[in-house]
Amino acid sequence: MKLRRTILLLLVILSFAPLRGQEEITIRIREGMPMVPVAMPAFLLNPAAQNSETAAAVYDTLWKDLEFSRIFKMVPREHYAYIPAFNPNAIRFKDWASIQANILISGELEVTADDRVIFSFKVYEVTGERFIFGRNFGGKKDLARLIAHRAADEMLKHFGERPLFTSKIAYISETGDDRDVYIMDYDGQRPTRITFSSALDMLPSWSADNEKILYTSYRNLSPELFMFHIYSGKTELLSSGGSNYAADWSPAGDRIVFTSTKHGNAEIYLKDMKTGQEKRLTFNPAIDTSPCWSPNGREIAFTSQRGGTPQIYIMDAEGSNVRRVTMEGSYHDSPAWSPDGMRLAFVSRIENRFDIYIFNLKSNEISKLTENAGRNENPSWSPDGRHLAFSSNRSGRYQIYLVDYDGRNVRQITSRGENKMPKWQRSAK
Amino acid sequence: MKRFLIIVLAVSFILLLSACSKKAAKVAPVQGPAVETVEEPVAQVEKPYLSEEELFQQKSLEELNKDQVLKMIHFDFDMYAIREDMKPVMQANANWLLKFPSVEVLVEGHCDERGTIEYNIALGEKRAEAAKNYLVSLGLNAAKVKIISYGKSKPLVQGVDEASYFRNRRAEFVITKK
Repeated sequence: MKLRRTILLLLVILSFAPLRGQEEITIRIREGMPMVPVAMPAFLLNPAAQNSETAAAVYDTLWKDLEFSRIFKMVPREHYAYIPAFNPNAIRFKDWASIQANILISGELEVTADDRVIFSFKVYEVTGERFIFGRNFGGKKDLARLIAHRAADEMLKHFGERPLFTSKIAYISETGDDRDVYIMDYDGQRPTRITFSSALDMLPSWSADNEKILYTSYRNLSPELFMFHIYSGKTELLSSGGSNYAADWSPAGDRIVFTSTKHGNAEIYLKDMKTGQEKRLTFNPAIDTSPCWSPNGREIAFTSQRGGTPQIYIMDAEGSNVRRVTMEGSYHDSPAWSPDGMRLAFVSRIENRFDIYIFNLKSNEISKLTENAGRNENPSWSPDGRHLAFSSNRSGRYQIYLVDYDGRNVRQITSRGENKMPKWQRSAK
Repeated sequence: MKRFLIIVLAVSFILLLSACSKKAAKVAPVQGPAVETVEEPVAQVEKPYLSEEELFQQKSLEELNKDQVLKMIHFDFDMYAIREDMKPVMQANANWLLKFPSVEVLVEGHCDERGTIEYNIALGEKRAEAAKNYLVSLGLNAAKVKIISYGKSKPLVQGVDEASYFRNRRAEFVITKK
């Protein structure tokens, strides 16, 4: 009953949405709402695409993306066998309704003579028996996965969600003595190395336009902040004096916060990226570090040892109005503010184990996200706030994992060498 | 009776002989010239005495660091205060450094793996700073001592026991100029 009401509500919203428009639907599907069942029969393929890996990659990637979303639920393919085969030119909606599909995706994929892929898909609303929207994407064959991610993002947008699947994760990968910055798709695929230094590189952070990465590097012997322009290959040194590390780029991209010992002690500083002006935000003989912006750019969460042990605090972006967030436990660090501004994820150490916890800033409730499996560190939220990336040594070496906001669907997305310190982009491009 | 005794004696003699010959077959006795002892008188030379100063002059930076003329110190879990039992080590380090005022030293702060990456960089720096301040309190020129923190990124030993953690919670003293 509840499900039907939700679906009805969705229908109402959808019927007002323009068929092919870019306008965002304002109602968001909230946590706890039932997922929308989606059916996606095999794509119609041109002869060159038959039995091609490319076609399979687009289909599988799109399927996995939608399954990952927590918005959609894929109707199992076995159920399609109970109804007549899909015919894109004469869709029998009643059949699809009979296997509980609410949304139907019809895809066509063509591999051209010059090795490009053209993927067209149409999305139908089953009970209303109508076309909702469609898109065509074309690109080089090796971008098959990206094409699928774009299609999946279109699905999210049409259901009032923020795009997620074209977002990337920056991280540190270690092979031998080198620790360099890499970027990869959200699902761990298509890793690309970004820095090539023989020194330690660590703690990457994305710019708001996703075109620059700020990171900490020991290449000049002491930890300093470097800014790398991904599409020009240029690297700039941003800091001077003392140790400078753990930078976080503001959501608007105009400022950064970071830890510096330029005045002798680990304090938090703010730097205006346009004027280059710096402002010291903390004044405390204890360690202050790990600053992280609130999504509206008005507040900063950070770690301070001023109370004796490392605890999470929040202050205004001017450095005033400092208040302590974590009250229990003896060791907290690595705060990460959720995109909706409601929650803080952080790492807590209890008896030599690190687990990730989520603190609800409205209800003051704490929930545990990871369960006593090795050390779990450096949480980073997905752009839609429904998932987090983190690193863990639960399987021996550090690898990067994804988990849903409620602790479900833990999956390992890296496996070569050692990989850690994931940082998800704030938004997909 | 006598004959019987002779036979018994003869048989036992043969048995004894055969046993002997079996043994002899296993381990052939060395027969030949006597072993000559090879000897050589030890040259009675004394290594020239090199004073600490001369050693210092002779050795490269790498050699000095490899010889660990400056000893590392260790810290308590989550702490950055100099332990009582590390103070004599610091005193010895300071004494050596005071002998060679031209020396510049880099104090590296390190942590064990039971801390987060960001916090450990800060903690390691606090350790390096505490070590530096202690040296300065013993009369060293602060300008000659630089500090750096590696957090938990450069452990000395791999291991998940307290002994390994203890060894990794350290400040190392690297001579950078002499």
